[in-house]
Amino acid sequence: MAMIESSIVCDSGPIIHLDELNCLRLLRDFKAAFLPDAVWKEVSFHRSSALEKSGVVFERCAGKIPSDEQLLTMCRIYSLDAGETEALALMEKSPQSIFLTDDASARLVGQQMGFRVHGTIGVLVRSLRREQMKPEQVVDLLSQIPLKSSLYIKRSLLNEIVLRIREEYHI
Amino acid sequence: MKTIQTKMPEELYQKAMALVKEGWFKDEEDIFLEAIRRFLDSHRPALMEKFVLDDVEWGLHGDD
Repeated sequence: MAMIESSIVCDSGPIIHLDELNCLRLLRDFKAAFLPDAVWKEVSFHRSSALEKSGVVFERCAGKIPSDEQLLTMCRIYSLDAGETEALALMEKSPQSIFLTDDASARLVGQQMGFRVHGTIGVLVRSLRREQMKPEQVVDLLSQIPLKSSLYIKRSLLNEIVLRIREEYHI
Repeated sequence: MKTIQTKMPEELYQKAMALVKEGWFKDEEDIFLEAIRRFLDSHRPALMEKFVLDDVEWGLHGDD
């Protein structure tokens, strides 16, 4: 699998959720995976194994708050936690990266700043396009999310996604 | 009004109480109501659903 040019800046959610689904390897084809200090600590606390055995080389970055006043204000207004705020500060320095988060508020702020933002579901579905997994595997994984993962998603929406993949890949 | 009982980290509680002591809020209940209201404002189901469907589209047809 060829590397792509984009790097990712990670919030803790997608790392934890992908690891719960044993799918962290799906991040291997990004050029680099940056974790701000607060996210590193969150993941270490909740799921330390995720940082060790996935084969993804996570780069721990110093935790900083955004220097852009608008971004910092939005982080405050939306009550983003330390990890989300530091991740957005990293995005500020590396705006061409993709911000991975499963938090709606952090995503909203990131999109307002013009960043590309995606989450666990996006990474799972992307594995089809990147030929990292077969459609049947992805459908199976999506179905297991409520059982194996702490990612909460409405069941009917999950069913809709599965249906979309089945239609797209004729399975 | 519903009455709920919950646990929260001591540090978070102390920060909330500091705001009350400084006179920014009437009491801790006032803070928790405001916090939950803001959370619900930024976690509207339609918005969260849109985010997920955008992700699916990116996953299927994105270019990175």
